[in-house]
Amino acid sequence: MTFRERLQAWRYNYIPDHVIGEILSKRWADNAIPFLALVTVIAVFGTAIPGFFNPFSLLESTRQLGEFAIVVMGLTVVMLAGGIDLSVGSMFALSAFSAVAAFFIFHQPVAVAFLAALATGGLFGAANGYLIGYMRLRAFLTTLVTLVIGRAIYDILVVNYGSVIQTSTASSDVWDFIGDGDIHGISIPVGAAAVLAIIFHVALTRSRPGWHILAVGGSRRSAHNSGIRVRQSVFMSYVVSGLCCGLAGFLIACRLSGAGPGTGLNQEILAITAAVVGGNSLGGGRGSIAKALMGAIIVLVMNNGLIRLGYGTGTNQMVLGIMLAAAVILDIRWLKNRHKVLNEVYVAPVYHRMGETLSAEPGSESPYALNNRIANTEYIGLGELEGPEDVVLDRDDNLYCGTRHGEIVRFFAPDYRRSEIFAHTGGFPLGLAIDRDGNIISCIGAMGLYSISPRGEVKQLSAETDRSYTSIVDDARLRDPNDLDIAPDGKIYFTDSTTRYDAHDWVIDSIENRATGRLLVFDPKTGKTKTLLESYRYTNGVCMAHDGKSLFFAESWACSVHRYWFEGPKAGTAECVIKDMPGYPDNINRASDGTYWMAWLGMRTPSFDLALRSPSFRKRMTRRLPQDEWLFPNINTGGVVKFNERGEIIETLGDMTGQSHPMVTSMREHKGYLYVGGILNNRIGRLKLENADPDWTGANSYWGATS
Amino acid sequence: MSLLDPILDLFRGKAVTIPPMDGALKPNTALDDGEVVAAALAPDNLAVLRGVPIYSSHREIRQLGYDHAVVGTCPADVSAIAVAEDGTLAVGLEDGSLKIGDRMVEGFNGITALAFQGNNLYVTNGSDHFRPSQWVSDLMHRNASGSVWEVDVKGGQRRKLAGGLAYANGVVVDAANNRLIVSESWRHRLSAVPLAGGNATEVLGRLPAYPGRITSAPRGYLLALFAPLNRLVEFVLQEPQYRADMMREIDSRFWIAPTLSPPHSFLEPLQNGGVRSMGVHKPWSPSRSYGLVATLDNALQPMTSYHSRANGRFHGVTSALAVDGAILATSKGGNHIISVQAGEGAS
Repeated sequence: MTFRERLQAWRYNYIPDHVIGEILSKRWADNAIPFLALVTVIAVFGTAIPGFFNPFSLLESTRQLGEFAIVVMGLTVVMLAGGIDLSVGSMFALSAFSAVAAFFIFHQPVAVAFLAALATGGLFGAANGYLIGYMRLRAFLTTLVTLVIGRAIYDILVVNYGSVIQTSTASSDVWDFIGDGDIHGISIPVGAAAVLAIIFHVALTRSRPGWHILAVGGSRRSAHNSGIRVRQSVFMSYVVSGLCCGLAGFLIACRLSGAGPGTGLNQEILAITAAVVGGNSLGGGRGSIAKALMGAIIVLVMNNGLIRLGYGTGTNQMVLGIMLAAAVILDIRWLKNRHKVLNEVYVAPVYHRMGETLSAEPGSESPYALNNRIANTEYIGLGELEGPEDVVLDRDDNLYCGTRHGEIVRFFAPDYRRSEIFAHTGGFPLGLAIDRDGNIISCIGAMGLYSISPRGEVKQLSAETDRSYTSIVDDARLRDPNDLDIAPDGKIYFTDSTTRYDAHDWVIDSIENRATGRLLVFDPKTGKTKTLLESYRYTNGVCMAHDGKSLFFAESWACSVHRYWFEGPKAGTAECVIKDMPGYPDNINRASDGTYWMAWLGMRTPSFDLALRSPSFRKRMTRRLPQDEWLFPNINTGGVVKFNERGEIIETLGDMTGQSHPMVTSMREHKGYLYVGGILNNRIGRLKLENADPDWTGANSYWGATS
Repeated sequence: MSLLDPILDLFRGKAVTIPPMDGALKPNTALDDGEVVAAALAPDNLAVLRGVPIYSSHREIRQLGYDHAVVGTCPADVSAIAVAEDGTLAVGLEDGSLKIGDRMVEGFNGITALAFQGNNLYVTNGSDHFRPSQWVSDLMHRNASGSVWEVDVKGGQRRKLAGGLAYANGVVVDAANNRLIVSESWRHRLSAVPLAGGNATEVLGRLPAYPGRITSAPRGYLLALFAPLNRLVEFVLQEPQYRADMMREIDSRFWIAPTLSPPHSFLEPLQNGGVRSMGVHKPWSPSRSYGLVATLDNALQPMTSYHSRANGRFHGVTSALAVDGAILATSKGGNHIISVQAGEGAS
């Protein structure tokens, strides 16, 4: 290895570039910019204003923050549902007035004042919600009207009853405590905002109504089509906003013990700016409570900071306006370009040097030499099938295979001309196996491990395994479950090929070549899935050895086959049986003579092997070229290889014409015939085997002959 | 955002782009649909001798007729042929030797095309570094050592008209304008060189394929383009380290480089778009080989074109000739000579 290669190996194998792409693919990555803005604003004003961090000053200034944050959170809920609420300022002011009136004019207890404030906010919110949600009026205009009318009512009330309130003698310790007191340095508004933030966060991220609101904001039509009650969700979002204003109004009423003409004036501009600056999308569907809180702090610190530094109202409004404009532009640009950025940085290749291999060229005298033996198979389902990754046959000789449309198709014996859709799975069925009771167990791409009963009922067995501690992407999820086999005790051993790419992007994993493939086991008794082995370069086919105590599995991008023991003295260990093949192995299955069949999905090419030794070359390639132009392994030629338990190659079958079976992902022997499938093919091939046992079936081999 | 692009490119990588096949070069299947005139081993250069079309194939020059009669056999592979008005045959060979009638002219490295005009024979010398059959190596080394020469047929003296060409690979005389039109393959363009000698200037640039031999046609010119531009190849050309390793370690048949013939071996590189899916090889997929003949008007602007696309058979067209209203084309990579009716392609 040259020094340059060694350097590349070190650079790309030990510096985890893939983390950048994984972080960017997380939803919380959106918070980075508002968080930076938050830190900057606090740092700038914290140093510019003397005594900013003084505990007493903090306690007092955070009272206002608590009230404001509650209003912003309510507004955020409306924005997440795809609406806008301009009337928050009016509702806030009217709620405050209700509380004050109940307490000072009607001499009611504090609890009644609180309820009065909530009722006022809730009523206005419900009015908004009814007009917008059920009457289908425009949110902007409707809430503008509520804003104007609400403000007008408030002004009339303040003018007429202001003096009565000021001269009232009502007083209460509770009222004063809410307005002035603190519990261990935390004022009531801040405590209320914190509790509310937790409730809202949980509701939005983990509850049905919260998901409905996000879904409605993301796409109203899709939400409607998937059965969500859109109008009700919209209505509820405005009610929530109204109630939040009510709560905030009550808190300010307690704090100021009165209501003046300035209460809640221009509050809507501050609140909208806060929500948007925090990173909540004006278009709806994208945002969070954390963003709302960050936005609230940024705007309030900025607003109050500028006032304390002696700038006038004009300057203040100007700064807010500029912030709002910047946030909106950033939001739109980021939304539009995020997937491009992600595409360009996600593929993070590593260095790998493939071992020297024997030739597979026809006439090369090597055991791997390809020929044309599967070039002339008898076609099954030509033109009807798309993407039969795996094939399996039952005791009645019927043939089953998956399709890329998510179906499992059954072809009827004996001629396989007639077919029916046996089950619809919704994913891409890859590996198949039939268990002792005749259920078809399938690895369904991007979904997990599923069982399909003989009557065609689909049941999920497993969709997750243990999460590892250091992963950023959720590696508990089965991302690319690929092939499985069933042990005599009923445990299902299966592979999850990669944690980095979804099932349909499986070839891109070869460009990255990062070893993230796993071997897993599902125990039907406990219903739990456990990770047995990890860090292989694309684990693929699985096949029980004839001894029933071990299994073979393919490691595609390493061109190797491994044997894993789950019983006996070597239990829990794996060893490499075949390495450095000239082709990439896929599914493995039993042969009638006690050996094994292995499919080759493609062939190594010298240019790709060389590229594997140059991760920087591959990285630049993925950034500078569109995906269609990327260098791939040669998956236009595959084959079928027969090997024995010692890893010796017995024979190799190929299709050099590329017309029948360019890529082979599976093959299944049944009663003297070999059935050949391919994930990118539109047919299954059937080939008569010369020296095979004409009575041998997989079902008998696995579960014994039926009487 | 175009102002920001140069800065952003530092982080995200500058996109590798190639000119699209569009306008007069819009793809069709005219070559694959054309009439197969003859199957031949790597047919290369077409010419007309005494009214009969002839072509070169390895060491032989054959007539295009019923019996493919051998006109001549040479000591090395023929790399170019041309016929003068008086019937004199000029032959350039792989080893650089040039024979005009019976006269030998020495001093060339790789003769890629010949054209007679009066007493002069114009010669393109592809490269000073590689022989014509090693054109891929010349491209991958990014050489620009081609030249155009004028040879006096009677006296045998030769005179260099222009040098520094990035693979001079075709020549035709534009007598009306006192200039030569020369194909500069690696710069994907046609250039004009004054008959008196001087610098080459671009007359048709941004071709989507590598231009090869060019001949006169009744209403302008016929241009054979022997391989397509490919974004992966263009990318590899900008990757000196990978390219050097590739040339050192890998057989040239399996390089990431243009080629004349459709894929033969699974050891050849494959691009994502070229993956055969549901039994179909997409005709628009990125390909290392392609078949393309373009007709150009007198101002050298493309008028019509004849294609064999990524999934076609007749790739690697190295020579095209207008004969009796039809266009003959040699698919060197597809081992056939095809005839298409002029005007069949997209216009």
